Amino acid sequence: MAAEELRGSHGEQRHHLLTSLFGTEDLHTFDVYRAHGGYGSLEKALTGMAPEEVHAEVKTSGLRGRGGAGFATGTKWGFIPKDIPGPRYVVVNADESEPGTSKDRYLMENSPHMLLEGICIACYAIGAHQAWIYIRGEYDGPYRRLIDAIAELRAEGILGDRPFGKEFALDIQLYRGHGAYICGEETALLESLEGKRAQPRSRPPFPAVKGAWGRPTLLNNVETLSTLPWIVRHGGAEYAKFGTERSRGTRMLSVSGNVRRPGVYEVELGVSFRHVIMELAGGPPEGRRVKVFWPGGSSAPVLPESMLDTSTDLDELARVGSMGGSGGVIVMDDSHCVVRAAHRLLRFYATESCGKCTPCRVGGNWAVRTFERILSGQGGRMDLQILDRIQESLQNGRCLCGLGDSAGWVIMSTMQHFRNEYEEHALRNECSAERVPAHA
Amino acid sequence: MALSTHAVEEIRALPARFPEIRSAVMPALDIAQEEIGHLTQEAMTEVAELLRLDPGYVAGVATFYTLFHLEPTGKHHFYVCTNLSCTLRGAVDICDHIKRRIGVSEFKEVSTDGLFSVEEVECLGACEYAPMMRYEHRFHYDLTADKVDALIDAAREDGHGR
Repeated sequence: MAAEELRGSHGEQRHHLLTSLFGTEDLHTFDVYRAHGGYGSLEKALTGMAPEEVHAEVKTSGLRGRGGAGFATGTKWGFIPKDIPGPRYVVVNADESEPGTSKDRYLMENSPHMLLEGICIACYAIGAHQAWIYIRGEYDGPYRRLIDAIAELRAEGILGDRPFGKEFALDIQLYRGHGAYICGEETALLESLEGKRAQPRSRPPFPAVKGAWGRPTLLNNVETLSTLPWIVRHGGAEYAKFGTERSRGTRMLSVSGNVRRPGVYEVELGVSFRHVIMELAGGPPEGRRVKVFWPGGSSAPVLPESMLDTSTDLDELARVGSMGGSGGVIVMDDSHCVVRAAHRLLRFYATESCGKCTPCRVGGNWAVRTFERILSGQGGRMDLQILDRIQESLQNGRCLCGLGDSAGWVIMSTMQHFRNEYEEHALRNECSAERVPAHA
Repeated sequence: MALSTHAVEEIRALPARFPEIRSAVMPALDIAQEEIGHLTQEAMTEVAELLRLDPGYVAGVATFYTLFHLEPTGKHHFYVCTNLSCTLRGAVDICDHIKRRIGVSEFKEVSTDGLFSVEEVECLGACEYAPMMRYEHRFHYDLTADKVDALIDAAREDGHGR
């Protein structure tokens, strides 16, 4: 892992709030992280701030959750009841599995202690003494990093009864997932953590009140928590100076697919996708054009090349009919077929449906069969109408979680922007993508 | 009994780590799978007994998650990502190449020498290194036919050396 070339942001830059130290030798060790000021924020919080003050800084920062939904972190923290006696938990969503998303892996591999420091800060702010990191089972490298880092923290006494001399016991445990995309959904994750099949719960009760093992639980994403040390160190107001009015700060975007420099880039929110795709990631390969991109993981409705100037601001993305999602930017060039890409993603959603809600369980597989008919030259106008009906039926709150919606959005947005390609396949058994020559 | 004394002891120690015993079921299945190579009916039943859970419940959990194997795999198992970012960079060709080299026609089919199998998996979260796969508990990046061949050759040499 250490031998791998770092593909993404590292080194000092004005907007590198999380990644400025990335590339430093042995940054993943406690000693090096500490030598660069690491755990200074936790020490500051524990010894000089009340939990409410930490919470207030996070509110002031305007930080929004980086897992996918973009919900205000400070507000989410506020849902944790203060008056319920007994244990409460911080549960870390490290189950990154949204297609095209690799930024949490990048953060955990490069700076596991930044995440652990953030977790400890969150524990202190909401009065939790125990945190659980739910990490996807396939992440062997980050898992080993975290095992080692947690062992270092125990030896240092930062995980223990009196971190930095403060009477506030802290502990962090790891829990490995076993291969299920649905576990990224927070209530499914909790089911899995409790040793069950990972099927989303109906809400209310919300996890803040009744979460892991029936206890009040704060669930935050790896990147969200990794941002806390910076916010506590510099103050929420400093963080809020970055980004846009409604999307403060920076975020990690993993750019993949048909680009020359795929990588995990930290950007100030508000920069355009043209900047991200054409400049940071180097644009499409020689002689190719960007055809379409997914701005926030495969679940984010696609945007065509003509919308490259769209901002990374979360509300702006929602306004144009997509979303910031998980920050996974997938780029496809004009040598590839949109219908085939949509078919591949529908296979994913059909496979990963947990089976609890009928529209998702049935609709996903029905869509896959319809795509197969279309792509094998057996399609017709009826099949396009079927896809239209399926995508509509998957959406709009008909399922307990967003997986069904996501599958629907893939069909809806690709049909909206590339209707002609669907008609070519379904009505004429043709594929113009296969005929696009490389541009001189 | 399907499990060794050592595995049984490890499983018995698991519940103490969690607020509720059920949370131990997946770590316990891990121990069983690590020892046997895949989850047999007998092993799942034994896990259920050790954790005082219903065998049907344990089987229900095991069948939900893709990292639990209910059928034997090869001694060396390739998890190749074919989700969009990897497919756009040649993952399907990599899968075809592996199948050809290990002499199987289907995913999850075990090669006749028992050494290999290959599975198509969903996004593994290392998209900037596409095409990529998980093999022997680590990620392998920027896959080419040559890189895959080197791994297969090394495993064969290892296999024949015993």
